[in-house]
Amino acid sequence: MKKDLVVIGLGNPLMSDEGIGVRVVERLSQVGGEKWPDVEFVDAGTGGLSILYHIEGRRKAILIDCAFMGAEPGVIRRFNPDEVESTKALAHQSLHEMDVLKVLEMSSQLGQSPEEVVIFGIEPEVVESGLTLSETLNGQLEHYISVIIEELGV
Amino acid sequence: MGKTVNIDVKHMTRVEGHGNIVVNATDGKIERVEWQVPEAPRFFEAMVRGLDYTDIQIVVSRICGICSITHSLASTKAVEKALGIEVSDQADKIRILMHYSEQLQSHILHIGYLAVPDFFGVPSVVPLVAMAPDAVKTIIGLHRLSNEWSDLIAGRTTHPVTLVPGGLTKIPTEKEFRDLQQRLKDSVPALKTAAEVILSAAGNIPVFERDTEYVSLKQDNPATYTFYHGDITSTDYDGTVKINDWKSVANEYVNDQSTAKWTKWNRPSYAVGALARFNNNAELLSPLAKDVAKMFSLEKGCCNPYMNTVAQLVECVHVVEVSIGMIDELLTKGLKEEKAKSSPKAGKASGCVEAPRGILFHEYEFDSRGKCVAADICIPTNQNHASIQEDFEKLVPEIIDEGEDAIRQKMEMLVRSYDPCISCSTHMLDVKFVK
Repeated sequence: MKKDLVVIGLGNPLMSDEGIGVRVVERLSQVGGEKWPDVEFVDAGTGGLSILYHIEGRRKAILIDCAFMGAEPGVIRRFNPDEVESTKALAHQSLHEMDVLKVLEMSSQLGQSPEEVVIFGIEPEVVESGLTLSETLNGQLEHYISVIIEELGV
Repeated sequence: MGKTVNIDVKHMTRVEGHGNIVVNATDGKIERVEWQVPEAPRFFEAMVRGLDYTDIQIVVSRICGICSITHSLASTKAVEKALGIEVSDQADKIRILMHYSEQLQSHILHIGYLAVPDFFGVPSVVPLVAMAPDAVKTIIGLHRLSNEWSDLIAGRTTHPVTLVPGGLTKIPTEKEFRDLQQRLKDSVPALKTAAEVILSAAGNIPVFERDTEYVSLKQDNPATYTFYHGDITSTDYDGTVKINDWKSVANEYVNDQSTAKWTKWNRPSYAVGALARFNNNAELLSPLAKDVAKMFSLEKGCCNPYMNTVAQLVECVHVVEVSIGMIDELLTKGLKEEKAKSSPKAGKASGCVEAPRGILFHEYEFDSRGKCVAADICIPTNQNHASIQEDFEKLVPEIIDEGEDAIRQKMEMLVRSYDPCISCSTHMLDVKFVK
């Protein structure tokens, strides 16, 4: 039986700030874990279409991902899928390469979408090979955690 | 006035890894047709040197994210043969079930997400959702079932954790096996739906034939449509070759246009994969699988490489049907707790299984402490590269007047039909400088 609420971290931790979604979820599940039994934390990495599976059967899904939003590096923004348009051009070279917004649209078309989907985009500073977050994003990690906790309402 | 054609596809879409297609023709005269593999070598055969025999599987499963269970099984079989480690019948059967889960997973992924978009004239599975939402839901559901099947037996979908020399660290309970069996039974209608949807677009599968040598495993005792046990055979070879003699079959060699080696046996190239297994063993398919083959008029002797995707679909049905029966066999005998036992000693041997995309060989040598001193891995996709090249050389002259777009599309579809795992296929070059 799937939990009502899922928090999904997306991204590639081998590409510095591109992995911010995964880092936030790692930290959240350390903090929350057993404290919040109705919430599931998922590191979906570069899972692409697997997002369909993770959000299916939920009441609410929160997705956290690195996003180029034209904002200052480190800024976190909350939005719903229908508030934005994707400008991502896919090369279709790999199944790991997926437009999150397109996958959410697919989920809706398949009749499998949760009642509520919320996306948190975090503007990166550094997107290149590297095992750590930039100082800017690393310095904001606790702030990102508290924003998500507030969204969870726990 | 003949056609002038220049095709230069840098990095094909909807295949695993990187491959390029080059065609140059002037006034109808073909000057160059090449299937190029520029993928970087992976160095696994060097990486495992010095490792303990208990660690080999963990490392080599990382060769691939789609066929990691297959690499783990082939390497574990090699380790067990080299060190004389025994495995119980129960563990053997459960490992085969594990292997089948990956056949289904990999085939469904290839059929649904990589190959079939071409049959429907779309660039990816994404537009298919709007065109045929129920069919896409079915594919996604089958893929999920196969992942959960792998999770149950291997401990994880990708990079198995339960496989150790001598057996398994954990086996499912009777209830877990029964639940799995029920889910497999429930999936049969979904498989039928998938087959019907693909059949509706089967008219778009190109008609092309090239007389080809097909290499696969063959198991006579008992006669089985085998992915796991048996020896090596081909459609050109009367009899079988022992697994330890695989090098006399593969005859790997380096080629200028590819960082992956090529292979040849009784002809300048051979093909491996679902169509190869079908051509060597079709009479041993399960009843439902035979029905699906009939739906597509797929018969033994088929040498249209585009039909490999259909042969994969047939195998999906087969592994599900056979697994339902195997679970009954296991539970009738009763599950027994067992502990894998092994100890180091010197030895050298090869292990072989059929990966979803073809026959796979792992060979290792160990010293008396059980440390690996040498490794050689021959991947199904590198065994297919020469066959792809030969297909290109026959296909292009036949379609040279169809225009660049149509030629490019048909060549890409041909490569996709082999379901290549290109980054698996570039392992290590062992060269001697002659100066």
